[in-house]
Amino acid sequence: MQKLRQSGTLIGFVLIIAFFSFQLPDTFLTARNLLNISQQLSMLAVVAATMTIVMVMNDFDLSVGSMASLSGIVAASLFVNEYSIWAGIGAALLVGLVGGLFNGILVSVVGILPFVATLGTLTVYSGAAFLLSGGKTIFGRDIPKSFSDFSRGGIEVGSIKIPMLTITAGFVIFVCWYILEQTNFGRRLYAIGGNREASYLAGIKVVKLRMLAFALTGLGAAVAGLMYASRVASANPTQGAGLMLDAIAAVFLGMTMSKQSEPRVIFTLIGVLVLGVLDNGMTQMRVDSYVREILVGLIVIAAVAVSSISKANR
Amino acid sequence: MKTLIKSVAISLLISSSAAFAETVAVITPYLAQPGTQAAIEGFEAAASDKGWDVNVIDTAGDIAAAISRIEDSITQNVDAIVINVDPAQVSAGLQSAKDAGIPVVGLDAGADPLLVANVTSNGYAMAAETSVYIANRIEGSGKVVMFVFDAFPPVQIRGVIADAVFGNFPDIEVLDRVTPDVSDGGIADSRAKMEAILAANPEPGSIGAVWAAWDQPALGALQAIEGAGRENEGIVITGIDANPQARDAIAQGGNFEASIAQDFAAMGAAAAEVVAGTFANKEQRASVIYVPTKMVTANNAK
Amino acid sequence: MMHKLTLNNVSKAFNGVPALNDVSITVLSGRTHALMGENGAGKSTLIKLLAGVINADSMSIFRDKEHIRITNTIDATSAGFRFIHQELNLVPEISIAENILLSKNLPTLFGIQIDWAKVYRKAELALEFLGATHINVKSQAGVLTSGDKMLVMIASAFVAEEESSPYLYVFDEPTAALTDQESEMLFSAMTKLKEKGAALLYVSHRIDEIMKVCDDISILRDGVLVKSTEIKNLKKAEIIKFMTGRELKDSYPPRTASMSSKKTISLRNIETDYLKGITFDLKAGEILGVTGLAGSGQSSLLKLLVGVGKALSGDATVLENSLAKSPHDAWSKGIAFIPRERRSEGLCLEMNVRENVVLSHLKSYGFHAKPKLEQSDVEMLAGQVKVKYNGSHQPVFELSGGNQQKVLFARALKGAPELLLLDEPTRGVDIGAKYEIYTLVRELSDNGCSIIISSSDLPEILGMCDRILILSDGRQTGLLEKCSLTSGDLLTNIYSSDLR
Repeated sequence: MQKLRQSGTLIGFVLIIAFFSFQLPDTFLTARNLLNISQQLSMLAVVAATMTIVMVMNDFDLSVGSMASLSGIVAASLFVNEYSIWAGIGAALLVGLVGGLFNGILVSVVGILPFVATLGTLTVYSGAAFLLSGGKTIFGRDIPKSFSDFSRGGIEVGSIKIPMLTITAGFVIFVCWYILEQTNFGRRLYAIGGNREASYLAGIKVVKLRMLAFALTGLGAAVAGLMYASRVASANPTQGAGLMLDAIAAVFLGMTMSKQSEPRVIFTLIGVLVLGVLDNGMTQMRVDSYVREILVGLIVIAAVAVSSISKANR
Repeated sequence: MKTLIKSVAISLLISSSAAFAETVAVITPYLAQPGTQAAIEGFEAAASDKGWDVNVIDTAGDIAAAISRIEDSITQNVDAIVINVDPAQVSAGLQSAKDAGIPVVGLDAGADPLLVANVTSNGYAMAAETSVYIANRIEGSGKVVMFVFDAFPPVQIRGVIADAVFGNFPDIEVLDRVTPDVSDGGIADSRAKMEAILAANPEPGSIGAVWAAWDQPALGALQAIEGAGRENEGIVITGIDANPQARDAIAQGGNFEASIAQDFAAMGAAAAEVVAGTFANKEQRASVIYVPTKMVTANNAK
Repeated sequence: MMHKLTLNNVSKAFNGVPALNDVSITVLSGRTHALMGENGAGKSTLIKLLAGVINADSMSIFRDKEHIRITNTIDATSAGFRFIHQELNLVPEISIAENILLSKNLPTLFGIQIDWAKVYRKAELALEFLGATHINVKSQAGVLTSGDKMLVMIASAFVAEEESSPYLYVFDEPTAALTDQESEMLFSAMTKLKEKGAALLYVSHRIDEIMKVCDDISILRDGVLVKSTEIKNLKKAEIIKFMTGRELKDSYPPRTASMSSKKTISLRNIETDYLKGITFDLKAGEILGVTGLAGSGQSSLLKLLVGVGKALSGDATVLENSLAKSPHDAWSKGIAFIPRERRSEGLCLEMNVRENVVLSHLKSYGFHAKPKLEQSDVEMLAGQVKVKYNGSHQPVFELSGGNQQKVLFARALKGAPELLLLDEPTRGVDIGAKYEIYTLVRELSDNGCSIIISSSDLPEILGMCDRILILSDGRQTGLLEKCSLTSGDLLTNIYSSDLR
């Protein structure tokens, strides 16, 4: 039962791939399409992987979407004022780090529930993005070519070109995996998620670690915002909004695969892939985009339901 | 679950697998907008006459997803792509389409060298018409509230023209330049914003006119004015697009006096002609194709 | 008229591992029947079967000649079975009266309007039956002390019922959170129940208590019934032998090394928002007991020393330093702590033994995690404290209470602490594991570790501690040398200090 619960989502993922490969024999399982998918998913993957860091502690961050928008706007605003690319990127990342830290302070020091605190900062960061941009999309000549070229570039490996966005996402995922699974810092976060009070009494610096974890999630959101801005060669105060729900959905999907239903970066990545492959495959099969949304929602619910039912039966 | 996907998918496959028809993907983040809907319906009507197989994809406001869907369509090897989104923002996708030799036509999108052509209304002209209409109605003097949306380039240029027109009348003062929240369609938030402005300017006659860059804020402003019981102060409202709800309001003969009808259906049809031209290997010279517009007032609203 | 409740051939296995194997017990009305056994012997499984929470592989129950079928909790209730659990399951936000009547329908006027007067009266009667008249049924349950909470839980089984009269009361370690005085209240209520003709099934680890209040006894070991008889036929040592399958050793290992004169703690007139006048010294190797009525500040004192909470006034020297500023500070100074609630305050239940043991010591493993090294460390420690487990990768929720407690001891030992703080270290721990824990504590003390034990188990305090600090409502009311104290002396002190 436990094994079935853990592997249910994975089996589903394999079946989805098999189904699309069968239905779309010429186009689905091609290097080009897979690279496409990896590139399309890169921003979601970054947000979901860094979201995993706070979800490990049983917290979560609703503000990542607006933080992604804000970081794009911050970078673009600096570009408008003719700052260098690195200044823009640096400022955006700093905003992400500070914004995340602010979430962490609200949750950990002030003691507001993460749902409420990050719902508040969601609005704050979104408002800041609108304020800074005057509600406008910053685009065209204001965005340096070398900034938008980043997302169009790639590294040639033989006959294929691995997109830079994919590489960036891979790097972020690796860092998150390393932090959470290979360092004692990550182990402490898992302990906090397992039992916060016990961890505190066992000498874990719960307050500080929660702050740091939120800061990392904010930083991840800022990275994703920059990737997004580079991809669309523009910055819009609402452009990251869709990332938050998908990221949380991906982590939840991933949690159905782990032993004690704890979030793991690798499983989060599979969750991201499930969402992305469904999107790509169904577009190719020309499923109506609204039907697609309903299906994706139902699949997430089904996976988590199967997992919790089989957990209750254990 | 899986059988559901399968049955949906298969039914879609069967319904759309017309043999060897040209396939065209239409990609927009803005399908919820009535104008976009009308344009795409016009395109679909023309396309079905030509026997094309059309797939309409809405990314619900997500620009990056629009790029992704363009890439997916390229993978699928469609014959042409029509986009209703700022081409500068999706140029990553457009470049891939160009590399794959797939023509992309803009439908009320914006001009871009990577597009075969963009089919649209002349936004400059439309904004000039309504702003001049207001300037004339208030006899070149009074306070004007503007509703703009600079985040979307085709709407942004309307604001620029209106700014220029009002700026040219020394006695016209722009009281406020409001960007409403459009996530709920734009009416409700415009109404709320307008209510606040009315409350801040309680004197009758203190607001001369409301210029809206499209119809939803105009309708919201109308509701606010009527709700405040100030419909008899002679506040002139204009919109752009002349959607059905706006036409109704104009036909009532109230404060909402004029709007500009873009002929979206014709725009869609014109875009279909451009696509047909690329299929026939005709050279497309003009990078922007304008479709005529018409002012709608109480006289011709119905 | 004496009734007979017969449980025949009860068997239950989990995943092929038998928890109960062909157990048959007869419980007589008007008598208290003790159910004893070490943790994992099958007591909880038997109770869950009676309550209908889980279903047996085989079981038949007869009340005299009448066959009773139990497949769910509703069956158990209508059969007249009532259960008093050791867990505190009160809803803190609602009134005590509502908590007492939680599983019943509230009395109403005209079937709609809640008849609050009747609700309060019913709840008051239930508490009166228990002799707990000091509890105001109208206040919120959250304000109660933990002993009072337990009394409220118990009282909920004594609510007068029109429809059916309860026939069997099952008490699952009811005195675990009670002071001796509160326990006495429970015992007299039990006597009243017996007089009304109910049968009582009583589960407890406390043998002295069992010998005092029970008439009959059944002893389980590894899922098998090893003895069922009248309690007067057995001596304490025999009971322990039946439970553990081995001879009783001297339950409290004696001190073998002499104490050094090195002072580890010196507190003078410490005051916090709850504690007052805390003044004592502690030498290396000395064991100090802290006791008093439940909720008198024992946990607050231990937590203060581990860096939770602040001293408002007074002087403190702990390990040649000031009071720890946080648990992190405490652990890094060589202070180890085993909290009172091992499940909610001590362990990450879903994590494994290794992760739980090293939790306080991750710093010593550097930045990069070193699972291999941890594993060998943990296996050594687990052997030292005698954890029974399937390996250090086993999640701790799968371990019995005693073994979970030993995991916490392994954690405490890992840093070779100079000061060890134990809050109710043997609560819910079976007798075999208890002895092992006492041995461990004694070894540590002999090696010079100062130890503070907070416990409501007076024999344990008397058996292990050199001096005893008595708290009453946060105030230090006594600091007694153990030599020649008896349990009675100690009780007199606790209660008289309460009257002061």
